[in-house]
Amino acid sequence: MINYQIIKYRKLWLIISGAMVILSIVALLTWGLRAGLDFTGGSLLEVKMAGGQPTVAQVQDSLKGVGVNSLVIQPTGSDSIILRFQETSQEKHLAVVDALKKMEIAKGGMTEIRFESIGTSVGADLRSKSFSVMSLVLLIIILYISLAFNKVSKPVVSWKYGLIAVLALFHDIIITAGIFAILGHYFAVEVNTPFVVALLTVLGYSVHDTIIVFDRTRENLPKSHDSFAETVNHSLNQTFIRSINTTLTVLLSLLAVLVFGGTSVRDFVLALMVGVFCGAYSSLFVASPLLVYIEQWQRRK
Amino acid sequence: MKNQSKGLFSSKKAHLRFTLLLIVIFAIVSFLGSAGNYYNQLSDSLAKATHNVVILPHTKEIPFVLGLDLQGGTQLTYEANVKNIPEADRSSSLEGVRDVIERRVNSTGVAEPVIQVNRSMNGDYRVIVELAGIKDANEAIKMIGETPLLEFKETASVTPTVTGTSTAAINLQQAWKNTELTGKNLKSATLKFNPNDGTPEVALKFDEQGSTMFANITERNVNKQVAIVLDGYTISAPTVNEKISGGEAVISGKFTVAEAKLLVQRLNTGALPVPITLVAQQTVEASLGQQSIDNSMKAGIVGFLLVALFMILYYRLPGLISVICLGIYALAVLAIYKAMPWWMTVVFLSSLFALFIYVFKELKIFDGILSVGLFLIVFIFLGYYAHTAVTLTLAGITGFILSIGMAVDANILIFERMKEELRAGKPLDIAVDEGFKRAWPSIRDGNTTTILVCFVLMSFGTGLVKGFGATLFLGVAISMLSSIVITSSLMKVFVGKFLARHPWWLGVKKINN
Repeated sequence: MINYQIIKYRKLWLIISGAMVILSIVALLTWGLRAGLDFTGGSLLEVKMAGGQPTVAQVQDSLKGVGVNSLVIQPTGSDSIILRFQETSQEKHLAVVDALKKMEIAKGGMTEIRFESIGTSVGADLRSKSFSVMSLVLLIIILYISLAFNKVSKPVVSWKYGLIAVLALFHDIIITAGIFAILGHYFAVEVNTPFVVALLTVLGYSVHDTIIVFDRTRENLPKSHDSFAETVNHSLNQTFIRSINTTLTVLLSLLAVLVFGGTSVRDFVLALMVGVFCGAYSSLFVASPLLVYIEQWQRRK
Repeated sequence: MKNQSKGLFSSKKAHLRFTLLLIVIFAIVSFLGSAGNYYNQLSDSLAKATHNVVILPHTKEIPFVLGLDLQGGTQLTYEANVKNIPEADRSSSLEGVRDVIERRVNSTGVAEPVIQVNRSMNGDYRVIVELAGIKDANEAIKMIGETPLLEFKETASVTPTVTGTSTAAINLQQAWKNTELTGKNLKSATLKFNPNDGTPEVALKFDEQGSTMFANITERNVNKQVAIVLDGYTISAPTVNEKISGGEAVISGKFTVAEAKLLVQRLNTGALPVPITLVAQQTVEASLGQQSIDNSMKAGIVGFLLVALFMILYYRLPGLISVICLGIYALAVLAIYKAMPWWMTVVFLSSLFALFIYVFKELKIFDGILSVGLFLIVFIFLGYYAHTAVTLTLAGITGFILSIGMAVDANILIFERMKEELRAGKPLDIAVDEGFKRAWPSIRDGNTTTILVCFVLMSFGTGLVKGFGATLFLGVAISMLSSIVITSSLMKVFVGKFLARHPWWLGVKKINN
């Protein structure tokens, strides 16, 4: 029977988590998340040319007459290029496509694979929507946990379980967002609506994971003769393998999408993977240690 | 406790057979629903191999409903400017816009449009037009964008001061104010020729409401000008001589015959009651969609295999059972994505429901208001989705693959609990039962939070988020049911002397008898 001393080293785990959270907040404050098209508004155009992939300079040259702002040209795959620019009107879109078609390399034909344009009002709307949905989810989760744990009262009252679960959630979200701030700064990874969806999914998953560990503590407490800290540690050990294995199967299925799913879902899956990992870590190494601290603190009073 | 469990195994062989039968029925319906084309191929080759001795009836092949990002197409988002429309009339005006756009797009014959009207967070009205499988989005945009906005304006009470010819136009424009009459009230437009000089004219006929409005407008503007404005341009501003009742009016501008004809045509296919602007556009070429489907398929298969391999290597026999369960689960989820015909929906839901009632009653884990509420909601939604199709998007498929990884969670919880009970020295049959019973509260609480998040996602509004929410919900809901119901029944088949003597298959060292 395994018996890891997780609670004994609780200070260490919380220091690691605290450091990660602080680093993430620093990254978020200094660099921030790189908001993508969905939130800033703008256009994205992906084209494929019969003559092969043009160079960035060639494309820039061809668009000189059109006059688009904040143009970013990015070759993708073996034969396509992605263009981003600020203007969203259909006239500009057509003007850009026309200019590209006139390029030497596109003489044999050009296919417009993808075009997305999002006006600033839509972007602002998505942004405010994301925030309200996020708050709604948090609220629902707190309500549910206090409902599900209403039978536990000794030695820690049920709403404190809820509070800890929510603290663990913030831990997961802040670190995930922090990692994306870093990825955004160094690798130009952008944040779009899928990122918000990933965060929401992580919220659901992380709280699920935390609840399962707490559930075990809830079950063991009435019949336990050990101290609170020991009971929590015992419960952690009983759910340890389950947590690791479940996280592993989820990460395995996501890994398959990361490798084979294509570029369009790559960032989305990456956010899910980071979040799921944090969620698993926090339910084992953050939530239960915090529970023990709360109990200790209560006794001291 | 002990007597109960003993009784369960000795006298309930028939019951076990019954649950297994239900599982087989559920699996077959799921297979027919999700992979009807493979079943038909199978039945063909079977007929061929047996020289038409065994002929299985064919089933209806139901297609998946693919989102624009997978089948290729265009999504256009328009924002409606409702500034000049009273609050109460806004939604009906937007319905008008919807109908007009539908008519205009249909007239081009490029695609079957799906048009939605919704309100954004800050109260803006949006019209979302989805055109599947369209080659040239520009044509559709032109068609929708060029739809004329017809307005009737009267002079504002302040008379404009016309100082010079160059500024006259500006002043004139500022002096006009909107009347309640718009293109919405137009019944028909026809091409006419002026009996005096033969110049082309456009005759307008209003509906009942429009006729009254027009009568009122002309009445209060006798000896004043009334402007007929199309898309912001004043096409004519005749002076009213007398009140015109009867609901007919004539626009006589300086038209050529062709211009007048075009105007009539455009007015008849519909004048927009509200001005709209294109605020977002998303076009995906069909080849990119196909590539996304291929990629997702590959990812799904690899994901499934990785999870299956892990489960079998780690949990051995129970792992194998969970993989069988996972296979049925995947088929069931794919089947529920499609719009199953009535008989399939009924068989699918009733076999699942029967299994659920049966197994949960037997395990005695049906507890309290949380469980009842959860299942009520889950079955209502499953019922809804079984008969209606879920539009599959790239994000939705990712949600499905993610749910494969999450689906085994319930099994892992149960198996770990089972092992623990075995290690604690409990006999096999009791350990298996306890494993299910004790894992249930955790499974319930864990899944409930994910399901709640899914509901929030589903109400988010935009297609991508909605699709992901729906597929994740279906995945979690079905996996919760199948992992308990199917795995527990299959486990019982193997519980017996053989397993008791060969604990290796369960991944434990020793089993007490």
